[in-house]
Amino acid sequence: MRIKQKAGNILVYSILILLLIYWLFPLFIAILNSFKTNGELLTNVLSLPKELQFENYTRTFEKMNYARSLMNTVIVASIGVSLMIFFSAMAGWRLARTKTKLSTFIFGLFVFSMLVPFSSIMIPLYKIMLLFNMNNSLMGLGLVYTGLGVSMAIFLYHGFVKSIPKEIEESALMDGCRPFQIFIYIIFPLLKPVTVTVCITNVLWIWNDFLLPLIAISDNEKYTLLLSTNTLFGQYSSDWGAILSALILAAIPVIVFYVIFQKSILKGIAEGATKG
Amino acid sequence: MFSKQKENRILLVYVLPALIVYLLFKLYPAILGFYYSLTDWNGIDQSYEMIGWANFKEIFEDVYFWESIQFTFKYVVVILVVSNVLALLLAVLIESRLKARGLFRTLFYMPNMISMIIGGYMWVFIFTRVIYYLADNWGLAFLDQSWIGDPRYSFVAIIIVSSWGTVGYLMLIYMAALQGVPLQLKEAAVLDGANSWNVFRNVTFPMIQHAFTICIFWSLSSAFQVFDVIYALTGGGPGRATQSVALNIYEEAFKGNIRYGYATAKSTILFVIVFLLTLAQLKMMKRKEQEL
Repeated sequence: MRIKQKAGNILVYSILILLLIYWLFPLFIAILNSFKTNGELLTNVLSLPKELQFENYTRTFEKMNYARSLMNTVIVASIGVSLMIFFSAMAGWRLARTKTKLSTFIFGLFVFSMLVPFSSIMIPLYKIMLLFNMNNSLMGLGLVYTGLGVSMAIFLYHGFVKSIPKEIEESALMDGCRPFQIFIYIIFPLLKPVTVTVCITNVLWIWNDFLLPLIAISDNEKYTLLLSTNTLFGQYSSDWGAILSALILAAIPVIVFYVIFQKSILKGIAEGATKG
Repeated sequence: MFSKQKENRILLVYVLPALIVYLLFKLYPAILGFYYSLTDWNGIDQSYEMIGWANFKEIFEDVYFWESIQFTFKYVVVILVVSNVLALLLAVLIESRLKARGLFRTLFYMPNMISMIIGGYMWVFIFTRVIYYLADNWGLAFLDQSWIGDPRYSFVAIIIVSSWGTVGYLMLIYMAALQGVPLQLKEAAVLDGANSWNVFRNVTFPMIQHAFTICIFWSLSSAFQVFDVIYALTGGGPGRATQSVALNIYEEAFKGNIRYGYATAKSTILFVIVFLLTLAQLKMMKRKEQEL
């Protein structure tokens, strides 16, 4: 029995390690080759770089306007997510606490749209953005993300509020607290676990979303990280040293984010998925 | 505590901000899209005419669109099976008595953190450079194919990259479900003489039914809208061999000769397909969950 189990363990480990090598190969090979000159890269893609040279990085850092695009992405994601949290927490709380036909209707309206695919609304959405002069606006883009994301967030908040005893609010109301004060000082802090989940899933979604910025942003100065990476890929058709370093630069922020917050990220993603 | 009317008024105050952005950027575009699909609008002119179902009739004869629908269905079926099987396999292996499960989980999830645009371009490098190096120097001659340029292989390439980018997410959901299966149940089954396959088949499998519902729902709705990975890898090519519906709509609406009315009619069809399929799937699997 013992031996059998040990053999089983070794088998499981070897399968997983083999799969893992395959899994991380693209990242590894991209990092490896981003430090090579193009000549070196052509002769052997698997060798270690002769010396670590950062020339590719300095080139693309300028070329893809890295600092600017990073800033733009941060702006869009923070506007989108903070508004989403604020709006959905309020709405989710009141929707869960109000037992009227209106509240059922509004909640149903939000839930219904979770089945609406983005690609089927993107054309009219773009027209609406044009109408409000929101194309090429980072604020506008953030606001659109808020609109696209609130249903899911409300759904999560709604489910969680039901587990908070109503008596807490009622006694605060008796003491003369106004509803908004109750929300800010009592409810919102209690909702923290959901807020973390909503924050993580949506930061990642907005950060990695490509199609919406692709149609909404045409001004280079407003490019998000993905847009400038994409443009650079188009310009340097076979200059792989430059392209790979750009890809690594674009991936660094999320990887750093992941390394720091991996516990809460993995938990948040799983919870967002199962509760949603 | 309050009268119904007052409660509704308070409700509206708190729901309004979310409701406004939601109506403006999600529900209104959905309705507007359907309205445009009945017009011949080109997207630029002020005037356009209502032409009834003419766009839909034309779509029926639009070979490229049906090819993209066909391609998308093929993609949906294959990616659904491949990524879910792989994700479940990983989840089961990692959850089975491994000490390093946290590390494995973290590393396997890694590709999901980066956008499929970035990941896709990394794979382009592999398919256009690394593969040939391996074929020449490691004697792996079967790799020596035009992975992106040849329609026979580009589908495989898309599936490889796509599963690479989605398995981590599904794996997390399956792992969470597996952790919820009570250990006593499994031990009881083992004491009754069940082998590990039987335990999995008869104890674990029914207990994680909910995870299947979620994972298949997610796979369905995201696979039908596949865009990024194809955009990065093949751009829909060679020719239009790997053009998904989302890509087809995007090109109709934003590239070349723009026909808004026509493009929104296509969007409407995509909406109906995704909506009905995901709804049917949810209903069906929920019922199955309850039966168990």
